[in-house]
Amino acid sequence: MNKLTALLLWSTLSLSLNAQISLGPTVATFGVLAGSTVTNSGPTVVTGNLGVSPGTAITGFTGIAPGGPGTVTGTIDSANATAAQAQTELTAAYNSAAGAAVTATKAGDLGGQTLFPGVYMSTSTLGITGTLTLDAQGNANAQFIFQIASALTTATSSSVVLINGANAANVFWQIGSSATLGTSSTFAGDILALSSISLGTGAVLSGRALARNGAVTLLSNTITTPAGSGGATPTPAPSTLILGAAALACIGIYQTRERLLKAFRRN
Amino acid sequence: MSWRQTVVGLTAVALVACYAPTLRGMFEQWLNDEDMSHGFLVPIVMLWIVWRERARRRGLETDPNWWGFAILTAAAGLQFAGLLGAGLFAGSVALLVSVAGSVLCLGGLAWLRVLAFPLVLAIFMLPKLAVVYNQATLPLQLLASRIAAGILTFGGIGVIREGNILAVSGHRVAVVEACNGIRYLLPLSFMAVVFAYVSDSKPWMRLVLLAAAVPIAILANAVRVAAAGWVPALEGGVPHAVCGLFIFVLCVATLMLFRQLFNKVYVRYQS
Repeated sequence: MNKLTALLLWSTLSLSLNAQISLGPTVATFGVLAGSTVTNSGPTVVTGNLGVSPGTAITGFTGIAPGGPGTVTGTIDSANATAAQAQTELTAAYNSAAGAAVTATKAGDLGGQTLFPGVYMSTSTLGITGTLTLDAQGNANAQFIFQIASALTTATSSSVVLINGANAANVFWQIGSSATLGTSSTFAGDILALSSISLGTGAVLSGRALARNGAVTLLSNTITTPAGSGGATPTPAPSTLILGAAALACIGIYQTRERLLKAFRRN
Repeated sequence: MSWRQTVVGLTAVALVACYAPTLRGMFEQWLNDEDMSHGFLVPIVMLWIVWRERARRRGLETDPNWWGFAILTAAAGLQFAGLLGAGLFAGSVALLVSVAGSVLCLGGLAWLRVLAFPLVLAIFMLPKLAVVYNQATLPLQLLASRIAAGILTFGGIGVIREGNILAVSGHRVAVVEACNGIRYLLPLSFMAVVFAYVSDSKPWMRLVLLAAAVPIAILANAVRVAAAGWVPALEGGVPHAVCGLFIFVLCVATLMLFRQLFNKVYVRYQS
């Protein structure tokens, strides 16, 4: 029993040592957040909120003057307290991602590679041509953090593919300058850029476009905030260790009751 | 210590040495993946069953069977494939097959028969088979979302479902991977088999309860999601965990009632 207790304590300690990056509750509700402007052309769809702070200009969306073809399923926050709070939380998340302990360094192009959970650092620019695969190896909580000192550029029709339980909510791209997603590319994860973010025509982002100081420019894009963190509260079940132990306790109680009933009937 | 005990001990040490990477991988998955942490309980229950069955092994004749070596060779091939890249699952299956082969080699068919149930129970501690898990996750999430939305609508509560997101009176609940019902399904199935073993002598009852555990777990998980949607206080923290545990205990109680029901039907049919 003491060994089991020690094992449980050790597992709790191990889990607590694996620090995880997470977005604050306000910024997590945003699909798009910019520091200066948000500009859209074409039928862009943003699932989640859209905001700008300290800038004020948002153009190309239904629901805010002068209107436009883009739609936002959440609210539009222009230079209000919510957007300011989201920017504060974005800065905190950006700094956490930038300060995460590096597990490997990367340079040049990530296309054609399969990466496992970890913190990847690049001292200059990074590109993606073709397919980058992120493999969580069956761990749904596994995180991928990319620290890019300069720009991130993805090629036309490139894609980021998530496999083996990898979740876009657990992929963070911390970018020291700007991010540019190529035409018709498919991208996954939260882009935390110091300057601007531009999505090429038809690019699909499963994640968030969050720019601290600069603009976010959209061209007929689809941006979907990852399920479970985009303003909706996840409802995970307790761990199977707890449930299994409860089940065994129930069996023990049932058996004891049966034994007592039998003894009672005999007497 | 007799020579036989020495051989058994040496075989156990050899198995642990050969499968050390696999055992480490399984342990790490139990430790890091909350869907699989019940793996810690499975060996404990297996050992308890082996101890409980000690009377059956008393006086059991030892009749080593050479087919055990063929099984051990097949398991070694599987383990080799696992090390080459087939993954942790292949290595874990190889470990179980090796244990069965060793029992056959050292004790014979009668010993394998006596130890068959705890060995079968070990299936519950196998790691996730990623191909199956990834295929099942999204459909299970959507099924839980649909049933939870149905429960809320039936209860007169307005709900809008967008895929795996439920919007209920001003707040949104996401049925993420960890809410897909696997966390109810695995321990409840394990419990069903163990419960049938300790409470019923009929081997078919294990299969019947195992089959009953699947719909019960799926429905109970949807009830849990619906509860979180209905009462915002149950969305997170300790109340959420307690609610999840409480609903699971209700599942266990339901399964126990099912066993009594099946037993009554069986007795009536027999008479």
